[in-house]
Amino acid sequence: MVVEPVIAHESEPISGTSRRTKLLALLALVAIVGYAATRPSSESSFQASGPAVPLPEVGQLTELSADDFEGVLVGLRGTPVIVNIWASWCAPCRTETPLLERTWQAHRGEVVILGVASKDVFASSLTFMNEFGVTYPNVFDRSGDIRARLGLRGFPTTYVFGADGTLRTTIVGGLTEQRLAAVLEDLRG
Amino acid sequence: MIDIGLLASMVVVIIVPAVFVRAWPESAVATGLIDVASGALLIGIAVGRLVAVAIDDPGSLTSISDLLIIRSGVEFWPGVVAGIGWIAIGARRDDVSPAARLAAITAPALVAWACYEATCLLRDGCPGPVSSIGLRPDGLVQRMFPIGLGVAATAAIAAATVRRWHRRGLPDLLVIGLALVALAMIRSVASIWLPHIGDGLTRQHRTSIAVAVITSMGLVALRLRAKPAAMLDDS
Repeated sequence: MVVEPVIAHESEPISGTSRRTKLLALLALVAIVGYAATRPSSESSFQASGPAVPLPEVGQLTELSADDFEGVLVGLRGTPVIVNIWASWCAPCRTETPLLERTWQAHRGEVVILGVASKDVFASSLTFMNEFGVTYPNVFDRSGDIRARLGLRGFPTTYVFGADGTLRTTIVGGLTEQRLAAVLEDLRG
Repeated sequence: MIDIGLLASMVVVIIVPAVFVRAWPESAVATGLIDVASGALLIGIAVGRLVAVAIDDPGSLTSISDLLIIRSGVEFWPGVVAGIGWIAIGARRDDVSPAARLAAITAPALVAWACYEATCLLRDGCPGPVSSIGLRPDGLVQRMFPIGLGVAATAAIAAATVRRWHRRGLPDLLVIGLALVALAMIRSVASIWLPHIGDGLTRQHRTSIAVAVITSMGLVALRLRAKPAAMLDDS
């Protein structure tokens, strides 16, 4: 690549930003705001039902059916729940797991974090949990029914349930600290 | 899975500064500037990603797929340092003053950063503190003050100011240093209101404060060194 030298200071009078540049900048702004305003919401209609099932023991990886998983969510009504679907082979899961663990340590009692290992080998999931020192509750979705019932589109996905059990938001892809913290702020309010 | 929001952000980050650069007479060799900036951006993202992975999950350094998941985190300041280094090395190779090239690229770089922050609308809806005035990020119930848009506006003002200083002939090192201080201070202040987990300062917040302090001290040292030299010139 041939790079021509950059002139540090001008040698001709400055005429200011052209009208075309301003118009392009304005168009870009309108396009961004328009996209943000009209893009579809990620809301889903999933609602857990059935008899309540106790939350699996913390630090364990318990195999659970889709019905029992719904039962766990029913049993947790009254507390917001963040359900994170993960797998040991999923790269963004490696980044967000420490974030979820920090959230669990900082906000335990205010919110429940429930990990769901899916489309994975049990032993690999367990190794993953041990590697990251995960202490929040986790369940193993051997049949894939849990992810099917939640309508999973990709790994990882995080489902945020309000204290009333309604699904408030679905975050597809890796979580950022800012996004997760905003979700917590929203749940508190 | 393609992150459309991030992809659109990157398109805006590249196109808008390029349009500005073409319209600015002082960067007359616009093609050269855009080439240099594109290389620096790519190197900055790569190094920022490597550092993020090295800090958070060193085991993933050997996995190409893990490294390529850009959205999972990029360390900002190591990326900036790598970009600066890339531009400086390229300038030396082209027999151009590294400081002059960096000073010329500073304002467009700030415009690019302003664009990235403004496009938070496309990525996550610009979350911030809960506020009665603001936007409702996708999936959230409460309105939040869009800190990202505030940062974008401040960065745009910083870019305009830096460009004016550069055109008025302020020394190149001073232009670069002041821009870095402005960048670090904007990030430090914005981090106060950005949502984060736990009570302590985030890593991004701590590093921005450190960069603001170190760069300010560097500028003071530069100023002190320049004064005796000016006195010698007078005598």
